[in-house]
Amino acid sequence: MFKKIKRNLKILLLLTYNSLKITSQSRQGMIFFTLGKILRFLLLFGIIFLVFSKTKIIAGWSLKQVIILYLTFNFIDTFSQVLYREVYRFRPLVVSGNLDLILVKPYHPFLRLLLGGVDLFDLLLLLPYLFLLLLFIFQENVSFFSFLLYLVLVVNGLIIATAFHIGVLGFGLLTTEIDNVIMIYRDLLNLGRFPIEIYQQVISLIFTFIIPIGVMITFPVKALFGFLSFKNIVFSFFISFFLLWLSVKLWQIGLKRYQSAGG
Amino acid sequence: MYKYFAVFILTLKEYFSYRLNFLIWRLRVFIGFLVPFFLWLTVTKQVKNFAGYDEKAIISYFFFSHFLSYFILGTRTVDIASQIQSGEILNLLLKPISFFRYHFFRDLADKILNLFLSFFEIFLFFEIFSIPFPSTNFQFLPLFFLFLILGLFLNFYLNLLISFWGFWSTEIWAPRFIFFILISILSGSFFPLDVLPKELFSLILFTPFPYLFFLPVKMISSPETLINKINLNSIFFMGSFWLIIFFFLSCFFWQKGLKNFSFWGR
Repeated sequence: MFKKIKRNLKILLLLTYNSLKITSQSRQGMIFFTLGKILRFLLLFGIIFLVFSKTKIIAGWSLKQVIILYLTFNFIDTFSQVLYREVYRFRPLVVSGNLDLILVKPYHPFLRLLLGGVDLFDLLLLLPYLFLLLLFIFQENVSFFSFLLYLVLVVNGLIIATAFHIGVLGFGLLTTEIDNVIMIYRDLLNLGRFPIEIYQQVISLIFTFIIPIGVMITFPVKALFGFLSFKNIVFSFFISFFLLWLSVKLWQIGLKRYQSAGG
Repeated sequence: MYKYFAVFILTLKEYFSYRLNFLIWRLRVFIGFLVPFFLWLTVTKQVKNFAGYDEKAIISYFFFSHFLSYFILGTRTVDIASQIQSGEILNLLLKPISFFRYHFFRDLADKILNLFLSFFEIFLFFEIFSIPFPSTNFQFLPLFFLFLILGLFLNFYLNLLISFWGFWSTEIWAPRFIFFILISILSGSFFPLDVLPKELFSLILFTPFPYLFFLPVKMISSPETLINKINLNSIFFMGSFWLIIFFFLSCFFWQKGLKNFSFWGR
């Protein structure tokens, strides 16, 4: 068991090293992209202050709570982008038939298709987000139990993000429509930048129970401030594991239907 | 002129060949509209008057904002940079047509299709959620058309200029990414710019961004609240100034880029 984990870690490190080498080839682009992401982060942060310049509460959320929500969103979004960047490059592999070369390798294909392109430049952004997040959380009067629950639900959010990415891979095998699907996932995730309560009830219910963006981002912050009911905590774990199971099933169906093409 | 009309028709046909792609794109645009719309609707429901915006005014702003966003900002010029990189641009350079006009008519097809679909989306959305449709002040319609045309051309030349970056660098997406972020926030698609503190709003009026999107939308949604805050002559002068600047810059870098451009193997 440990031998297998050690071997997989070794492969992951090798893939990460290769990915770093590839991305560092286009330094100018990386600088521009990183600057763009910092700019977007700061401008949207400014919008939160603008909104709260005339009121103290929005849909039951205070300024500091919305800031923590926004930072939690950035953390979960950036973390999943750091890990799962390779999903964005999946389509050419399917279209060209080069996926065969990965499937025949003696390790799990997710190691390469899901985790094989760790984006270390995004990791540089993750550290300040984490620092700011912890800074704002520790300024609030939250209990140790609430903080622990928050951490567990953030991990739960990352499991949902993982499920979405595996689902996209499975969908890509079936239709090759991967670029659009992953971008829709990112657009939907962006809805979680602000509390899910700002949307009309029907939309808010859809983004909690059907496409659980609210569970990924709003629920951990609600748990931190003691707003989350026990029923919803149980539901969070249920939906994440259900989605993970569903996405793995979709991947397996995709694999069965996959017929090598091209090369 | 007939050949450009043919370009227009061919671009429309191109979109109808890839219907799913285009519909998914519209779905993405619509999802993007939900965040600012509901955020500001919640805010104005609570505050009643946010820097001159009540619930009705904010609904009106975002109604027209969704309606016009990709009519103004929609463009096919993003393809130019990759055509320069792949050498595909040579196919166009050898043809007896104006490069700028060719792309302008491609843009026009894109804009009209976006306008058409956004009308259905917003109509359906307002109907489903029983949101009252906003009224228009026709008194300011000439000003709306003036700023709309200004915004359309400014967007066209600005996008061309960014695409010409491909003549000198292979990093074609990164500058566009920054441009997109600036546009999405500073042009007024995330919030009406006049809710900003007066000094900051005045400062943004010196940049080209509000002329792309905010002013046309404002002139049709609630112009009366803006007219008192700004000097129309100086705003029009500033917008025209940016248009002239970007027109000459795009022409200059087009000529310069062509001299610099070389390709082999096609």
